[in-house]
Amino acid sequence: MDELSVEIAGLRSAVVTRDRDVLDVVRDRYKGFLSPGTPDWRIEIDLRQAAGHRSDGDVLVSRDGERARFVIKRWDFVGTADLAERRASATFAGANEYSIDSFLRILYSLALVEAHGLVVHAASLIRNGRAHLFSGPSGAGKTTLARLSPDATLLSDELSIVRLADGRARCHGTPFWGELARAGQDRAAPLRGICFLHHGSRHAVEAITPRRALERLLPNVLFFARDPELTGRVLEIAADLVESVPCFDLSFRLDPGFWEVIDRA
Amino acid sequence: MPEQYLARNSRTAWRVYDGEAVILLAEDSTLNTLNAVGTLIWEGADGKTPVSSLVGRICTEFDVEPVQAERDVTAFVDKLSQRGLLNVSASPHEPR
Repeated sequence: MDELSVEIAGLRSAVVTRDRDVLDVVRDRYKGFLSPGTPDWRIEIDLRQAAGHRSDGDVLVSRDGERARFVIKRWDFVGTADLAERRASATFAGANEYSIDSFLRILYSLALVEAHGLVVHAASLIRNGRAHLFSGPSGAGKTTLARLSPDATLLSDELSIVRLADGRARCHGTPFWGELARAGQDRAAPLRGICFLHHGSRHAVEAITPRRALERLLPNVLFFARDPELTGRVLEIAADLVESVPCFDLSFRLDPGFWEVIDRA
Repeated sequence: MPEQYLARNSRTAWRVYDGEAVILLAEDSTLNTLNAVGTLIWEGADGKTPVSSLVGRICTEFDVEPVQAERDVTAFVDKLSQRGLLNVSASPHEPR
């Protein structure tokens, strides 16, 4: 068995596999996030024909009898995640980088709940030492906004990770990219605020209440487990997050002037 | 009208902000938000409190006539039951 360690948002995972192609995919896809050292998680990956179990494109994450063990299924893979043992396994039909990346995204969305963190559909950037989170569904402008910010440090244009500790939120770079097709940097910074994106004819920010922010944030949290306990914890983390930083609706047009209204907010 | 008892679906997670509830259903992560009256009913949906008691509280706290309050509660309960958030019973019981 060969092994590579990937560290995302402070959670280091050892990817263990017999397959050289899988190792090559992991080494290439996560090259900015490779991090030797004692892993927090162990992920065993193998390949088998017709690994997936669902005919549609949906992800199914369900509890597997044991309190902390979940089964993860999609058309192109089937796997397990044991949150107590911090062990996961996955079988893929082939060494496809998109399949492996999708599994990792789902796994981290589960693992981070234990670490009081969330994976959010959001672009994130560091500017003047503080991270800004720009959340919204596909088409809201996450990648556009990242492209309009060449002087900022890119954490992600698609899926960002926020972790809370002692009531303070930090935003972490991820290798989970969107249309930009470029990984964020393996950096982290205190979160200055959350902006919920929509395109407009001018740049404008409007402060919103934590309740309104929670309503806006929750549909953008990457989370698949149909489980009351974990759902409750996601709600708690999301609520803590919107109470820890200022939240805004951000209307922006296609130029970098939006940073000025954010700086004034 | 026969007495009814409401119980929150235990497969929900919820939090109240400024008297208004935000509810997540675990089955599909659907988000529901309630106004102040809806939140009063939701918080009272413990499986043991009769609906008539909730109607009485709404009349008192929101200055609504009993007929109107009863009508509003019925519509609200129907809606949340259809969404799988509330269970309605003819006798008191522990929430499932």
